[in-house]
Amino acid sequence: MVPPRRVIAGVLLLVLVIAPTRASAAEPTAAGRIKVLSGSVFVVRGDVTTRAALGQALFEADTLRTGTDGRVGITLNDDTRVSLGPGSEARLNQFVYAPAEGRVGLVLDIVRGVIAYVSGRIAKLSPDSVKLETPNAIVGVRGTTLALRVSQ
Amino acid sequence: MSCGRHSVVLAACAAVTLSACGQPRVRTPERPADTMVALLPDPDTGVVGKAIVSSPSGSAALETARASTRVKDNRPPGDVTPLDEADTKALFGEVLAALPPASHHFTLYFEFESEALTADSQALVPQVLQAVKDFPFPEVVVIGHTDTTGSAASNVELGLRRANVVRKLLLDAGLEGSIVDVTSHGETDLLVRTPDDTFEPRNRRVEISVR
Repeated sequence: MVPPRRVIAGVLLLVLVIAPTRASAAEPTAAGRIKVLSGSVFVVRGDVTTRAALGQALFEADTLRTGTDGRVGITLNDDTRVSLGPGSEARLNQFVYAPAEGRVGLVLDIVRGVIAYVSGRIAKLSPDSVKLETPNAIVGVRGTTLALRVSQ
Repeated sequence: MSCGRHSVVLAACAAVTLSACGQPRVRTPERPADTMVALLPDPDTGVVGKAIVSSPSGSAALETARASTRVKDNRPPGDVTPLDEADTKALFGEVLAALPPASHHFTLYFEFESEALTADSQALVPQVLQAVKDFPFPEVVVIGHTDTTGSAASNVELGLRRANVVRKLLLDAGLEGSIVDVTSHGETDLLVRTPDDTFEPRNRRVEISVR
């Protein structure tokens, strides 16, 4: 799905405004890891698409994509678990887990396919901070387990 | 949660202007889309949570086991209906089977005013080592927690000191350093809710998460 130019411009503008005030500019820490994998699974990071590997670290803004024979399961740092069935795609739009600094948030953008989600600590600490988004719906989560199927 | 950390919603709010940021704003899809959402019992505990499904034109609450709804394009979510077990399995059995195992948690306590674990907590160390063996690509996170005595900042440091004591114990017991991380939640994640500046031994703990 391609967002309208206006929204892209809005996001860019906001990124420019927000970015300098963000607390830490340190190197990114992993958001989670791939724990289960079979068939063809890819990680899209920026413009680069690579074949996913078991144990691989995932970061905020990474996209996972499975082929028609692919399945993948990940565990995020707050113990949230997510799995994708065949022919699926999801992007980790936001993952912030710094409870000591009062910052937590999880936004998963489900582009298509079949996905399971089991909530972790972020949903416990701050339920309003978890959103599962699809092209035409937003799911707010009060725990614990959800399954979604998205087609376009 | 402020809007500032959620640039997509923020952008959507900016685009719509004056809309309340707290309300989920769903973009109108440019292509037809069909979303089905089902609330399932937790695979390990059986606990059923709750979810709110919102489309650009309405919302629906899922509150019972296998309750499901469907959003077509930008219509409101359809009636909430329960899936039967056979449908759930046919639709989602495969993806549920790809979920990683649930994390394993251990809670350890220290002797009063000391950096020595209680005897009961000390006895958990072999169980932690066994749990690590049960996980594919295991990671161990040692999280220090404190009670609300003292300042928030000093409690973050105190929690980290305790977590490091436990990390050293685990390494001495044979775990590889590369898989053991430490962190501190200070006084932000209380086991027993208390007001500020409250002595509460049950909150002064170290949690080990194996995943």
